[in-house]
Amino acid sequence: MGKDQRRFDPALGGTLSRRALVQRATGGAAALAAVGAAGAQPRAARSAQNTDLSGKLTIWGWEAAIASLQTVDSAFQQAYPNITLEYVQKDTGDVYQQIQLAASAGSGFPDISVIEDSHLAQFAPLGVLADLTDRVAPYIDKVNDYKWTQAQVDGRTYAMPWDSGPVAVFYRRDLFQQLGLDPATIATWEDYYAAATRVKAELGASMMHLAKARGESRTFEMLLWQQGLGYVDAEGTVILDTEPRVQQTLEYLGRFWQEGLAADTESWTDAWYQEMANGNVVTIPGAVWMGTFLKSFIAPEAAGQWGVFPLPVWTPEGSRSSNDGGSALGIFETSEQRDAAWAYVEFHLGREDSQLTMYRETDLFPSLETTYTDPMFQEPDPYFADQPVRALFAETVATVPQAGIYTVDYQEMNSLLTAEVQRFALGEQDAQQTLKAAADAIRERTRRA
Amino acid sequence: MGTERRRISDHDLGPRGGVPGLRVERRPGARAAARSRLHPRALWRARWPLLFISPFFVLFAVFGIYPILFSLWLSLHEWRGIGPMRWVGLENYRFLFGDGIFWGSMRNSLILFLIYVPVMTLLAIVLASLLHAGFLRLQGIWRALIFLPHITSMVATGYTFRLLLETRSGFVNQALGVVGIGQVAWLDDRWWARISLGLLMIWAWLGYNTVIMLAGLQTIPTEIAEAARVDGATQAQVFRQITVPLLRPVIIFSVTLSIIGTFQMYTEPLVLTGGGPVRATETPVMQIFQTTFANLRFGYAAAMSYVYFAVIVVITLLQFRFVSREDAG
Repeated sequence: MGKDQRRFDPALGGTLSRRALVQRATGGAAALAAVGAAGAQPRAARSAQNTDLSGKLTIWGWEAAIASLQTVDSAFQQAYPNITLEYVQKDTGDVYQQIQLAASAGSGFPDISVIEDSHLAQFAPLGVLADLTDRVAPYIDKVNDYKWTQAQVDGRTYAMPWDSGPVAVFYRRDLFQQLGLDPATIATWEDYYAAATRVKAELGASMMHLAKARGESRTFEMLLWQQGLGYVDAEGTVILDTEPRVQQTLEYLGRFWQEGLAADTESWTDAWYQEMANGNVVTIPGAVWMGTFLKSFIAPEAAGQWGVFPLPVWTPEGSRSSNDGGSALGIFETSEQRDAAWAYVEFHLGREDSQLTMYRETDLFPSLETTYTDPMFQEPDPYFADQPVRALFAETVATVPQAGIYTVDYQEMNSLLTAEVQRFALGEQDAQQTLKAAADAIRERTRRA
Repeated sequence: MGTERRRISDHDLGPRGGVPGLRVERRPGARAAARSRLHPRALWRARWPLLFISPFFVLFAVFGIYPILFSLWLSLHEWRGIGPMRWVGLENYRFLFGDGIFWGSMRNSLILFLIYVPVMTLLAIVLASLLHAGFLRLQGIWRALIFLPHITSMVATGYTFRLLLETRSGFVNQALGVVGIGQVAWLDDRWWARISLGLLMIWAWLGYNTVIMLAGLQTIPTEIAEAARVDGATQAQVFRQITVPLLRPVIIFSVTLSIIGTFQMYTEPLVLTGGGPVRATETPVMQIFQTTFANLRFGYAAAMSYVYFAVIVVITLLQFRFVSREDAG
């Protein structure tokens, strides 16, 4: 699931970046995917009934998330006949604001809420989420390692990871063929840059989207995460201006801007979708959910035209993936039915069959690694010319490193960095000045070293 | 936000608001009378009326005074919305005075004000005069058309503007291309983005201001203009020498609302530009909102609100002084 993009809705307005827009987009896509899911029966046999746990659970989430969770509910109801479920659908930004308000009021929490990783790190330390450390213990080794970082504070765990956002490069098969370009030869970011110059010279097109004045730093964050870098290191010290690889990464993006190799189009706009659909932009370094968007509403008629290759590397042993987005389920400290709530969370997110149902029906990529051996991952995907795309993501997601991107101050850091990177993209300052300015602002405002 | 913020109440038009014909005289000795009314016995005698008017005061205390005072208290603390508040004294204010991003947003508001308010006010006067002159047929339809953009959802309008102003695919640039004018970076350049936002503001608020001007025009006795015409004044002269000077209090009233409206601007830039590029269209309210609900820095946001409030009060007081001098003169 994408990061929360709140900009769409002036009522919540929020982070002033484009938060709800993507969420609506995500919602639309997954809702579409979910249409076929209604009434679908889970494939695996379910365990015996548990009638001891009872009560009514209130679950907050946005449209796409609820649609996804509901694909498992008939099986859950069979297993726990005395637990009733009440879903409350809200806009993504509203979920966070209302958790805030409930927290200020000291009441009004649901039992369970969906929370994106980008916000989880902000909420976990506030003390409103129940400590799940002992309950999640059996799953620690079964879930993508990096997913726990956002959910943990001082070694205690406050949420159960749901889906991951492993990143790869989506590319136009037909246009690569036209250029005689084999995606297997794009192994490093230098290869990718070389391909970009050919795409510009021979096709007159752009290798990727990278907005300048209206950019959102998302690609930059993704490239940092791939290298285990971010705004801060594991100790919380700001590393934007002290870690040379951050600057090298920004300078790499700078070449795309200076040489006009990227399309300067704001994300999540009609123009942005069109350029992906009509071949003006030939690759998308993006998370797994981008594939869902392509299929469902960006280029639904382009079956067979798109393919996926793993993210190019910075160093020979580097990770061939990164992460963008992802979410988790949290149980609230105030819930009086934490056992029932945990039964719900564990049934939906801890069981391979449930996670696989949600992945198949609503395309949320499981963080639960024990699902990856399912034959479903080897199925050819007709949209991607029968390439078994799921397997590619499953193979590379294990290599995603820990990174200091989604921290307690993520919203603020992202906003401070974005304005400076926009200046850099416009050629008003160099990479070093950019990162110094962003790092200083972040240090000053978040009181970090 | 939008529609509520500039709805005129009787209070706005009150004693010193400057709308002709609505002036309320203050009785001499009114203050002494007020004091005597606060005597306990007098209060007791008036217990029933007081009880009946009390709901407003109770609600105002809970939803008005309490939050105002709490924000002041909050502005002296560091607080993430939950958990203990940490006393920081004037630290938030000290930081705020050196906060380039906050003062940048104030500067943006000032620039935006200069970009659109003069043009909008002038257009409003001209439109109102045309409507008032009565030589247009189907007056009701024209009035409705002029007011229509104001009651259209700002989100819908904002997104339409975004589609129209998109640099490479937007309709406006395509139309300009036909005429032979090159692409304008409507939303990708700091100054053009401000101008685009100004255009959106004019679109959304022109009708509203026209109605205020029209109300003002209708209070001006027609005899004055008639007399001038008898004396041989042309239509243009009547407009410049008679209409505009007599309309002045209303113009100042409308401009005052526009100043406050500009500094409170939120939905319009949020939808059109998201505050960009490079914070060029970010307004103080956007800053306060982000600081509160995205960054969870409640104390700092409260300090911002107070400083921002103080700036608006100062501007409004200056305006009112200006108006009352006009009245005296």
